[in-house]
Amino acid sequence: MKQDFLFKASNISKYYGQNIGCKNVSLDINPGEVLGIVGESGSGKSTLLNCIYGNLEVDEGDIFLNDKSKTILNFTKISEPKLRLIQRSDLAFVHQNPRDGLRMNISAGGNIGERLMAIGHRNYGEIREIASNWLEKVEIDVSRIDDKPSTFSGGMQQRLQIARNLVTRPRLIFMDEPTGGLDVSVQAKILDLLRNLVRELGIAAIIVTHDLAVVRLLADRIIVMQNGNVVEAGLCDQVLDDPQHKYSQLLVSSVLQV
Amino acid sequence: MNEMSKNENIDIQIYNFAYLDENTKRMIRRALLKALCIPGYQVPFSSREMPMPYGWGTGGIQVTSACLIPKDVLKVIDQGADDTTNAVSIRKFFQKTANVAVTEKTSDASLIQTRHRIPETKLKEKQILVYQVPIPEPLRFLEPRETETRKMHALSEYGLMYVKLYEDIAKHGHIETAYAYPVKTNGNYVTDPSPIPKFDNPKMNNSPAIQLFGAGREQRIYAIPPYTNVKSLDFEDYPFEAMKANFKCSICGSSDSYLDEIIVSDDGKRSYICSDTDYCKEQTKLNSKKEDQL
Repeated sequence: MKQDFLFKASNISKYYGQNIGCKNVSLDINPGEVLGIVGESGSGKSTLLNCIYGNLEVDEGDIFLNDKSKTILNFTKISEPKLRLIQRSDLAFVHQNPRDGLRMNISAGGNIGERLMAIGHRNYGEIREIASNWLEKVEIDVSRIDDKPSTFSGGMQQRLQIARNLVTRPRLIFMDEPTGGLDVSVQAKILDLLRNLVRELGIAAIIVTHDLAVVRLLADRIIVMQNGNVVEAGLCDQVLDDPQHKYSQLLVSSVLQV
Repeated sequence: MNEMSKNENIDIQIYNFAYLDENTKRMIRRALLKALCIPGYQVPFSSREMPMPYGWGTGGIQVTSACLIPKDVLKVIDQGADDTTNAVSIRKFFQKTANVAVTEKTSDASLIQTRHRIPETKLKEKQILVYQVPIPEPLRFLEPRETETRKMHALSEYGLMYVKLYEDIAKHGHIETAYAYPVKTNGNYVTDPSPIPKFDNPKMNNSPAIQLFGAGREQRIYAIPPYTNVKSLDFEDYPFEAMKANFKCSICGSSDSYLDEIIVSDDGKRSYICSDTDYCKEQTKLNSKKEDQL
């Protein structure tokens, strides 16, 4: 096995009774790389993402993470406490709906601080300073630090969710339709922000989306899914400019041109 | 049972000793033993219907009932006072069903059932303090799912508990939580000390007495064995502070006991008196003795 990968999933299958969630999917990511997973609704993108993050139990396959100390961990074998610890420190998950990823009745500062406190930060002043820095990074006015996310706009909530996830400097971030449900100008802003942060901090990311513009902007490589299967995989520009599989061709050709 | 048959009172013979049947008491004692073995861990038990509403101490009286022996001396307090409704009715309940001796003196009691206070007088070895607990789960209002909170305890994921304290400081400039202030028991489980004022938190630490907690509606029992480390959660730069109203008791003059604020006139005049009635009486006695000597 090659030793320089960051994350690898091999032959992942997940069934919902008779129905296929995803079948025989393999992928791997190098440090700092961004992988896009595209496909129509119900093609198994989110199932796959939840499986490899460790939220859903897989029926077949193995998931490996090359952790900070260069030990290779198999998610399907390690204990639950260990997995949750890794999810809190090495990994992060950005939900499509910020309401799923934020605590809506806790201030913005508390939301960012939670992951810090979870890994043992016990100094209020320090936590607050880090939280303010992150608010700045995601372009939220620092004076809003004590406001609840419920008073924020959709775009701000999504940016807050990103800050909350990145604060512990994870090495791999999972994103499920991070710009879904936002209007186009806000989408552009979030994408711009994500691109900067991911490049600046060298974080690897797996982005699930049905929006090809998102992967074009962010991803280095993409995989195209249909009915739980991977139908095409490759470099982002290669697949989008010269799609080989008929479903990828359909997907690319159905993007609206302005 | 011998004790009971000696007694002529018909009222008592209707009930088993201390109201609950022996099998139920055995079940509760098993839960108590488990709770003592794992300090701060919430042990589920099959709580019984008691002849009083939930919220009046149904958990506490079940624990008391399972612990009582005929030679026990019982004291019951409610917010520190021996003479409030809750305390009086629970005390009468056990007088009637167990015929045990009762006292108001903390130092004479072998078992003390309490609602929301720890007595001012230092507790001793061989004393049992039974707390009435409304909500045993310290994480309840932060994480509503029981399945999730159990997991959080099991994996000691207590970041969220600190988020609550963080929010306090962010909003008020200091940790505003004044009662039910979360503690870490034996360096392991975060525990709800029941709604005692945080002034009482330090008394839980390294206490020679056995501390038992019963939550009837929530069907949970937990315990702090004698001489166990109990630490109130805090931040490095905002350490825990036990606090009370900065006045003297207007009856006994004590300045180091926890005070109740009482409005004594229509125009809002205030007076402060000890919440622990037994302690207040003791102090008053001591004061008059001193005066006599003079």
